[in-house]
Amino acid sequence: MTAKTDDDTVVYNEQRIYMPFPGRFGRGSEMGRGPYEKSGLLRETSLAPGQTKHETFEISYPFEDQEKDGTSRRELLKDELIVTVTLWYVPFGEFDGNEVAFYEEEKTLDLKAEWVWR
Amino acid sequence: MKRAFIFGLIGFAGCALLAFNASAAGGPKPEPPSKATTISELAERYDSSRCADCHEEIYDEWENSLHARSILGSPRTAPTIITAIEKGLKLFPYSGVKSDDDITVEHLAICTKCHLPQLDEATDDVAREIVATIRGWQQAYKDGDDDKADELEETIESLNIGCMVCHNKVALIHKWADGYAQPDTVYGAQEGEHEDEEFVNMAEAPALSESIFCGQCHGLGPNLELDHPSQCATLYGSYLFSYVAHGGSESCQECHMEKSELGHDMQSYKDEAMIDMALDVKVEGRSIFWRKNKAEGVVPIGIIDVSMYNKAGHVIPDG
Repeated sequence: MTAKTDDDTVVYNEQRIYMPFPGRFGRGSEMGRGPYEKSGLLRETSLAPGQTKHETFEISYPFEDQEKDGTSRRELLKDELIVTVTLWYVPFGEFDGNEVAFYEEEKTLDLKAEWVWR
Repeated sequence: MKRAFIFGLIGFAGCALLAFNASAAGGPKPEPPSKATTISELAERYDSSRCADCHEEIYDEWENSLHARSILGSPRTAPTIITAIEKGLKLFPYSGVKSDDDITVEHLAICTKCHLPQLDEATDDVAREIVATIRGWQQAYKDGDDDKADELEETIESLNIGCMVCHNKVALIHKWADGYAQPDTVYGAQEGEHEDEEFVNMAEAPALSESIFCGQCHGLGPNLELDHPSQCATLYGSYLFSYVAHGGSESCQECHMEKSELGHDMQSYKDEAMIDMALDVKVEGRSIFWRKNKAEGVVPIGIIDVSMYNKAGHVIPDG
């Protein structure tokens, strides 16, 4: 998930990973590399069938505390964010050209509302 | 009372006979076929193009699927076989593999149990020929020799999960109950004669349309029956213990062949139809002034809420 301001500055970039963590030879705490040593699962965070996974992201708008007449006033530097949410399928764990975008949506958020308590 | 018990026994025996008659598609364990001594011989034995004359549409569907290039892969499978040799077999102290010359059919079975199950009908020379062909293909790419790379890629592609793998070799799962696949029979949904010189009969494979059929390869986890268990797929495990366990009732074939309308062009994460069938994603956004705490004060934040519902019959991703 990436959030940018209207001048294309990235203000937030966060990713969540869903995947199986196969154990190396089915023992200990080390993850296996290839099919010749993967055995069992140490951990499983893949999306489970019939279930809904919820994620929430909090993106701080760029702001600045400005001093004026001995008082501090918080000002928004940008009141609009362009947010892109992409769900990638990354079959080999790398963005090596085999990745597939399962879902992508862009949303524009704004805080053009009145701000009293700063 | 005794009479009732006897009738009961007769009834039970009748049911048992009916049950076994209904699924008696196979026969006695046949003599193993002679070992293929070259890739070309093995490929010819399982050549699906012979089916195309009568089953053109199905053949075309299959030809587009990853089953048609199960050793080559996306093409990631073939290089992974080499990695398994270099990082696995050659480093394991008891594998018996120090060089490619030591590789046998049994060694490659950690991959070919599923990617090329018919390799058990070939000599160890064929196992070594496969490895040499993959290495030659990789080298040709590195050298920029496109003609050679294409030629070797075609050889690798000739080894695949073709028609007669599913419709004969692995068609019958419970062999003690259903019998063994017969060398003159193609297994599917019908019984009778089959217009072919070699496969002259058709018989029913009772589990061909069931999820367990796909589960033979797409997989419960580690292949514990091997001397050195390998693990690629865990899909069938999650299908059984997560999807079915939470009330799911559709089969692999219903989603991947019927609802997707892909038929024998079985696809996964790279296909638009399968992607549409996999997940429902919803994204919602809003912004607020967050009165966080004294230290940080009021923080203007945007909030993005994402929900992802997995509509598939297995975990996403698998591995």
